[in-house]
Amino acid sequence: MIGLLADICLISGALPMRSTLQLNTMIKSPVTLVLLMLLVIHQQVLLVVAAEADKVDKVDFAREVRPILARHCFACHGPDQGQRKAKLRLDQKVDAFADRGGWSPVVAGNVGESEIIARITSHDKDEVMPPGGPEKRLKPEEITTLSRWIGQGADWRNHWAFEKPVKVEPPKIKNADWGRNAIDGFVLQKLESAKLAPNPEADKNTLIRRVSLDLTGLPPTPEQVTEFLSDAAPDAYERLVERLLASPGYGERWARIWLDLARFADTRGYEKDRSRPMWRYRDWVIAAFNRDQPYDQFTRDQLAGDLIPGSKPDQRLATAFHRNTLTNEEGGTDDEEFRSAAVKDRIDTTMQVWMGLTFGCAKCHSHKYDPISQTDYYKFYAFFNQTADNDRGDESPFESFPTVAQTSELNAIDRDLETAVKVFAFGPPRKADLDRFTALNQRKNQVLEACRTPIYQELPEKSRRVTKVHQRGNFLDPGAEVAAATPDSFPKLKPGLPANRLGVAAWLFDPENPLTARVTVNRHWSAFFGQGLVATPEDFGSQGQPPTHPELLDYLAIAFQESGWSLKSLCRMIVTSSTYRQASNVSAESAKLDPSNRWLGHFPRTRLDAEMIRDASLRVSGLLSPKMFGPSVMPYQPEGIWRSTYNTDKWVTSPGEDKHRRGLYTFMKRTSPYPAMITMDAPSREICSIRRITTNTPLQALITLNDTVYIEAAQALARRMAREVEGADLTKRLEYGMQLALGRPAKDHELKALTGLYIDRVGFYQSDPKSALSMSTNPLGPLPSGLKADELAALTNVANVILNLDEFLTKP
Amino acid sequence: MSADQEIYQEQILGLTRRHFFGHAGLSLGSIALANMLAGGGKVQSADSVNQNPLAPKNPMIPAKAKHVIYLHMAGSPSQLDLFDDKPELRKYNGKPCPDELLKGKRFAFIRGVPNMLGSPFKFQKHGQSGTELSELWQHLPKVIDKVSVLKTVKTDQFNHGPAQLYLHTGSSQFGGASIGAWATYGLGSDNADLPGFVVLTSGGKTPDAGKSVWGSGFLPSVYQGVQCRSEGDPVLFLANPPGMDRAGRRRTLDALKQMNDEQSKVIGDPETLTRIAQYELAYRMQMTAPEVMDISREPKNILEMYGAVPGFVPESDSAADPRTAYKGTDAQFANNCLLARRLVESGVRFVQLFDWGWDHHGVSPGEDIVNTLPIKVRQIDKAITALIQDLDQRGLLNETLIVWGGEFGRTPMAQNSPNQKFPGRDHHPYAFSMMMAGGGIKGGQTIGKTDDIGYYAVEQPLDVRDVQATILQLLGLDPWKMHYNYQGLEQRLIGVEGKATIPKGLIA
Repeated sequence: MIGLLADICLISGALPMRSTLQLNTMIKSPVTLVLLMLLVIHQQVLLVVAAEADKVDKVDFAREVRPILARHCFACHGPDQGQRKAKLRLDQKVDAFADRGGWSPVVAGNVGESEIIARITSHDKDEVMPPGGPEKRLKPEEITTLSRWIGQGADWRNHWAFEKPVKVEPPKIKNADWGRNAIDGFVLQKLESAKLAPNPEADKNTLIRRVSLDLTGLPPTPEQVTEFLSDAAPDAYERLVERLLASPGYGERWARIWLDLARFADTRGYEKDRSRPMWRYRDWVIAAFNRDQPYDQFTRDQLAGDLIPGSKPDQRLATAFHRNTLTNEEGGTDDEEFRSAAVKDRIDTTMQVWMGLTFGCAKCHSHKYDPISQTDYYKFYAFFNQTADNDRGDESPFESFPTVAQTSELNAIDRDLETAVKVFAFGPPRKADLDRFTALNQRKNQVLEACRTPIYQELPEKSRRVTKVHQRGNFLDPGAEVAAATPDSFPKLKPGLPANRLGVAAWLFDPENPLTARVTVNRHWSAFFGQGLVATPEDFGSQGQPPTHPELLDYLAIAFQESGWSLKSLCRMIVTSSTYRQASNVSAESAKLDPSNRWLGHFPRTRLDAEMIRDASLRVSGLLSPKMFGPSVMPYQPEGIWRSTYNTDKWVTSPGEDKHRRGLYTFMKRTSPYPAMITMDAPSREICSIRRITTNTPLQALITLNDTVYIEAAQALARRMAREVEGADLTKRLEYGMQLALGRPAKDHELKALTGLYIDRVGFYQSDPKSALSMSTNPLGPLPSGLKADELAALTNVANVILNLDEFLTKP
Repeated sequence: MSADQEIYQEQILGLTRRHFFGHAGLSLGSIALANMLAGGGKVQSADSVNQNPLAPKNPMIPAKAKHVIYLHMAGSPSQLDLFDDKPELRKYNGKPCPDELLKGKRFAFIRGVPNMLGSPFKFQKHGQSGTELSELWQHLPKVIDKVSVLKTVKTDQFNHGPAQLYLHTGSSQFGGASIGAWATYGLGSDNADLPGFVVLTSGGKTPDAGKSVWGSGFLPSVYQGVQCRSEGDPVLFLANPPGMDRAGRRRTLDALKQMNDEQSKVIGDPETLTRIAQYELAYRMQMTAPEVMDISREPKNILEMYGAVPGFVPESDSAADPRTAYKGTDAQFANNCLLARRLVESGVRFVQLFDWGWDHHGVSPGEDIVNTLPIKVRQIDKAITALIQDLDQRGLLNETLIVWGGEFGRTPMAQNSPNQKFPGRDHHPYAFSMMMAGGGIKGGQTIGKTDDIGYYAVEQPLDVRDVQATILQLLGLDPWKMHYNYQGLEQRLIGVEGKATIPKGLIA
């Protein structure tokens, strides 16, 4: 037994020296040995594990060790000077290895001499780290990882995300049957090392539904399905992708995602929460996606369009991005308090969206885990602290951005005004002329007001603000004055760049910036796969998750840069990969070996997001209005939802096709968001929201079962089933309904279930004409001639079921 | 955060990942499904937590309360006219405010030197405890020995929106999770057929900060408060559409389930099974919620006890400015109190009442101390008293925590406004009064003492964070340890820094 123990010690080479010494002196009697074994059994097991693991692979500092240090040590031994204990830092190599008078926290290759190991394994409650009782202690496997890392030479690297992406050649694919582009090489490599195989390609019905939903937010029409299914060419799918990328729905789909980040809404936020015309900005975003404006320009326009020399109206309109912050019109508020809150929100949002950093942590004190000091925060704040907006009730500064239609109306008004003025030249004006002149001017103002949008405007040199650190984040407690600069741990502004927002926008796209490209491709990836390669898209810092496929992430980031920051190219690359085109069935093997589908052995199904569910239901029922752009609209909403303080605005259902517009055009009131949206996990757009967490609740079921919007959609789908099928064959009607909704032929068991339901319900409605009439016409309107209320009511029940199928609500 | 909580958070995050539980999940899902389909409201098995985020969970620490009824008076009532008698202030009535009280202070509306405003109301000691109350309270004295009055609560914010957010979500900025969301996140719900966190409003308006005061913030949206309404559907979209009877709904759900079951067999996504279960829950909620929400099922004596009037729709509801239409006989708040009892009785974890109309600046009709405040007190006095008595007689008071208060207090000075016609007070964040009762609270006491004019605390100063900590602690959720990792920080109701203490002597 002694031999065994000694063997373990030898093999491991990682037993702390103190313990080894104890071991030699103590292994003298069997009793001591047993005692000893009981004492060290915990470590012993770890060491055996460590020894085994050592044979396999080397500990990766960035992915395995740093997160442990960050989680347990950085709060007191990290970047935050104010919280630092014992003047010890463990987030920087030089400090972690420093000789502190005969001892060092980490001694490369020598576990026994490394003080951190002694401390984390200590049984002395005054010595053990971290302090705070047993539940704060490191887990055994964490101790093993640290010990192995030190034993292997304590290789130290910076946090992975703060190093520039490195281009790695995609692994060659041995399996010739699978894999189309670089993505697949990286994915297959991980799958194979996990002893898994990818799923085969999904069938064409599934593919077109999946990729249409992803690229345009809408399910395909039957014509689109037929076209794709009958296209036998080998590049049929690629050409489908091109059609979708070129369709206007693409911009609407990706604008929806961007508007969560931009915290876009139609009202101001606090208390009265009055409306604020921001729709011109929303339309700008849609158009920018549709024309595939390169992401660097897209960014520059939004952060600093006003500062571009000779800026175009569109570029100034884009700056409304940061005017989406809240305005507090509550009586008795200090405008400076809410102005500075808005600037902070802009800082936090900018860093979240482009750099994936939780920069906001540093407004009160230096970041506990990432190298961002409080001074860094306010230096960056200084860039954004020079705009003229000031929490004013009139939302100034603003500018009118007429649409094409509005421009031609304005031109017509101007011509009429000119004529009117000419009339005045011929003597004293008559009352009729004066009235006409006044009316024209009024109309002109109305038009200009309707498209008036809050924008960014830099303060003139003479009235620029001095920026000081807000101590503990309190704007009333100013500290040292700071000059605008980028955070110390990241690249500086390139020489020649202006020290203003325009410089910041360029800095985000500096080839030395390690984060912007990675963060963007990761967010896009998560839109397709439900989860990013970095599972915490909002945090690329040391507290976030490391990437599952680091090389793939970097490959995509570099490809994205090299494409000229083309988002359509990025989408194209992802959706044409075999990884994306896999079937979503879960094999028993992958369920066992990779239950969370980290290695992507199948395509992950995800529930449609709030807007998609609305859009899909309206699309398949034929109700969806194709109208794009314009002021936000009000679809059906139950009575009595809007009751904001001191605000008498009313929700009035939009007339005509406007009540059937896509979800992203729905009026978004922050204090009282559209109920069907927030219940389906949409955010209330008060702050930047990087991802929606999908839930599955009974309240969601009630919406798609009972909300007027969805009942009307079911009625319309029922009418399509009745009218667009020749004859009155029930089976054909049901088949058509399923085909419309799911883009695939119905299965026998489905037809059986729906037929049973129909027969049952039509009997009921025959006996109850009043209910039949309600169910078939309220709210859609009178029955088309030649159709019977009882049949349509029963078909509406059927359609209600179809529009609630798991398959309908899910991206396949 | 306990290991359980940690695992639980991982599971919640896992909701974004499909197939989190793989085939193992299928069987777990099936168990959960079987449990839910078995019905009967009470969810028995904590194992089903894997699939149902609202399944009941064990408290982290021993709990004294199972439920909370939080009565928020939006706008903030005057502590100086209800609880905190200041004879000194009456002496100075009408005199300019001393300089030292104004120096370095920010007010919402006060500008220049305001005059002091003594309370026009008489105060008297009540109950064995001798708790001092203003004459505006006619009923509350009956139960005052069950109540703890906190006189020295302080907040950081002096505008309504931010102060309401700070009180209910722990952060004056948007994005935090509300107390009720934390409670349901930590404990789940005891009745699967009802929302775990219900919100009821009265007074004609929603609170200034909007629905974020009952939002889930960074927690999954399943934990947000569900606003139940007194008109239309009690829960949005609860009623079947016109022309769909309950049997018809059952029939459609049967077909739906049949088709979804087949789908699940082919694809093997556990989320499909969860969806089937959620539809069944929705069906049962359609039955249960209207029953529970129907206060007309209460006997006459109980209705009278609260002053509740089933179906009551106040004039103020349709008024452009509800404050001008307030009447003492308005039964909306009383109805909500009775409803709160029914909900708690049915296992709802957290019931949040908001009553709007307490912002008594005294600058326009409908918002002053002399006329409006007495009307508002009449709307709530009898109902709150009845709520305490009723819960007590049903043996529910000891497991139901009641909290009453505004988002801040009101100044000892009259608001010095040029167009002032009626006496009123500005916002005062430094010391205000709240009440707590039941659910582990030691009744019959007053905690804390303010100075002679009620400006600052002089004994046992308290903070809004202390109230938040007390609520969680009584529910069995450790306010310092319970957290949710978001944006690189351990987010807590009581703030990232965890600065809060349980007020000495408050807990029985």
